[in-house]
Amino acid sequence: MKKLFFFLLLIAVFACGDDEGDQPTAPEDNFDRQAMLRNWADNIIVPAYTSFAEKTDDLKRATETFVADPSAANYTDLSAKWESAYSSFQDVSIFEIGKAEELSLTNNLNIYPTDIDDLTDNIISGGYNLELPSTIAIQGFPALDYLLFGIAEDQVAMLDFYQNDADAIKYLQYLSVLANRIDDLTQSVLSDWNDGFRDEFVENQGNSALASVDKLTNDFIFYYERHFRAGKIGIPAGVFSGDPLSGNVEAFYRQDLSKTLFNRAMDAVQNFFNGVHHQSATEGESMKTYIEYLEVEKDGESLAKVINDQFEVARNTTQELMDNFAEQVETDNVKMLTTYNQLQLNVVYLKVDMLQAFNINVDFVDADGD
Amino acid sequence: MNNKLKFLILSMSIFMIACGDNDEDINPEVEAPATYIFERNGASTISFSGQTTRIQMGQELIDALMDFNISEEALLEMYANETASGADANPFSDEALNESTKSIRSKVATSTDFFSANTVEAATIKEAFASWIAAQVSEVFPNQNELAVAGTAGQIADGTSTRYVSAQGLEYNQAVNKGLIGALMLDQTLNNYLSTAVLDAGDNRALNDAATVEDDHNYTSMEHKWDEAYGYVYGTSADPTNPNATIGNDDSFLNKYIGRVAADTDFAGIAAEIWNAFKLGRAAIVAGDYDLRDEQATIIREQLSTVIAVRAVYYLQQGKNGIANGDMGGAFHDLSEGLGFVFSLQFTRQSNTVSPYLSKAEVDGFIDELLDESSNGFWGLSTETLENISTEIADKFDFTLAQAAE
Repeated sequence: MKKLFFFLLLIAVFACGDDEGDQPTAPEDNFDRQAMLRNWADNIIVPAYTSFAEKTDDLKRATETFVADPSAANYTDLSAKWESAYSSFQDVSIFEIGKAEELSLTNNLNIYPTDIDDLTDNIISGGYNLELPSTIAIQGFPALDYLLFGIAEDQVAMLDFYQNDADAIKYLQYLSVLANRIDDLTQSVLSDWNDGFRDEFVENQGNSALASVDKLTNDFIFYYERHFRAGKIGIPAGVFSGDPLSGNVEAFYRQDLSKTLFNRAMDAVQNFFNGVHHQSATEGESMKTYIEYLEVEKDGESLAKVINDQFEVARNTTQELMDNFAEQVETDNVKMLTTYNQLQLNVVYLKVDMLQAFNINVDFVDADGD
Repeated sequence: MNNKLKFLILSMSIFMIACGDNDEDINPEVEAPATYIFERNGASTISFSGQTTRIQMGQELIDALMDFNISEEALLEMYANETASGADANPFSDEALNESTKSIRSKVATSTDFFSANTVEAATIKEAFASWIAAQVSEVFPNQNELAVAGTAGQIADGTSTRYVSAQGLEYNQAVNKGLIGALMLDQTLNNYLSTAVLDAGDNRALNDAATVEDDHNYTSMEHKWDEAYGYVYGTSADPTNPNATIGNDDSFLNKYIGRVAADTDFAGIAAEIWNAFKLGRAAIVAGDYDLRDEQATIIREQLSTVIAVRAVYYLQQGKNGIANGDMGGAFHDLSEGLGFVFSLQFTRQSNTVSPYLSKAEVDGFIDELLDESSNGFWGLSTETLENISTEIADKFDFTLAQAAE
């Protein structure tokens, strides 16, 4: 009898001994997270920043040329370089980690709508400090959008302004400051990746909240929710405000670019998910392969397929949209809402199903405004 | 039948019927109405305009604290609704507030239960708000366009928002905002208007039993006192008769944070519990059932105290996470709100005592730790310190740190 008792006791001890409570533990899978980090850094992120940095440099030079001589030809070239850089930016906005996080790259380069009154006050009075957080709505690509396409009715009036207006010099000076700052920040981020952060990023392969996979996955989802789904579609469509806000679309003053930028970002998002190399068709280790490795399913299918299928559905709805999202909002907002709804569905798959599968906690709080 | 027997049966019958009826007459089951509507002779008996006024004054004050062009004098006039020398002032943009004789300051730390015999402490608390207001003007306003660093006031980014902090990383406007929740709304509700010293003052019970109303009003004194407690919580609700339809959206003070806590699944029923207790307690007053009334007061004290404590822990934990992630702007914003809620803990009320859940000394101790000058306050705060303070607070209440922290 005693022997049986001790035997049962032993079993009880072993059975209960490993119960760690409900703390999420590191995944015990053998997925090669470091291979994924290497693919991300070497084949996607650094190449994307390298391309983008070339474009910001082009933008800076074209701005200097225009500032020195505000001719029609230089204006055309500047417009083209701005568009090219803005498009390329869509490839990197996801990766708000490391130096980009430290410098708040996206907040300094792409906060819209621009605060026109504040912008004008600053230009006229001079003495602005664009490093201040309070100036994010008067710099970056959106501010250039206004300065190049919004301050006058048409190109003729625009050139007349920059050639003849009493305050033209101040405005030209500001154009230069903006373009230089975009380039400076971008070069800082790229240098940091090339001078050591890439190794730090790849080495930090653990499973904690501060590990690279956790952080960048969170950054990806934050970008998708906030800058992509809400910024480009949801906010203008009035999802968060009751009334549609056509003035809040990306590239509002240029008018015909919002859809192009959206599509570029859509590609960047889906390609990152699938581990597609920058400007290539090769796929490497990624969230998709991680999901497949873990054999995570949703409603009988691989979660990765569900997510990709949903991206396609969302993409298809955008074919209905005009090039100018502001006009779309004004004439038929229902189409914007349709796109929004399809984008929203993937939020659940990414933020709930995928994060759970990877054992990653969400590290950002949906701000409740205090 | 024997006469004695008949008499016995008759008396027993009468006795039993009389006793049976007595119970039902004295204690009918008190029911709370579906909405907070109470009437006498076809007219409402509810009034809490003074409380509504003070919440509105509070809103103008906290907005004005972010006006970099405003003077210290103007802000202090909003706080006191009078000039520095005590003359009439018109500091508000809402004329109705200027015409009012009410003020925020006069009701800060003035509850009967906590401060009637504690005027020195009350003065210190009133002064704390004046100091924060003055510091906002003298320290933060001049540095509007400076970047905040350890030891220097200025701007700091919090996502796409800009926060304006002191040399120690504190947003004085948040300290004032969240501090008023405790020192004004909570203290007046829990420790004044729900207090038996106030509800049962003078002849209030007898007058209430007789339904004798105050001169020129439709309410008994006791009814009115209870409604004034209600007013500090629901005074600016879209529909005060049914405030939980919009709870959390109706002010920047107690109402807001009941809503926030109720949205946390760990505390899902709290808004309903608080409101139901207000309704039932008020119905108990009309029915003359003072024990039932006081039971509801106990529930309100416990639940509103919990709201304050949950938010204090929540913000300290969010701040801790921000620091761990290197997001100082986000952390400082959370910690500033947290400091205001920690400050408010000294106005909470433990059931069946005349004490808060945390004493002034304990609260001051926490604040000293948070704003340790030798390490530039929030700039030098460790996650350990924040974890310890959060734990000490949670330990005094029924909820766990994990429940509040999310």
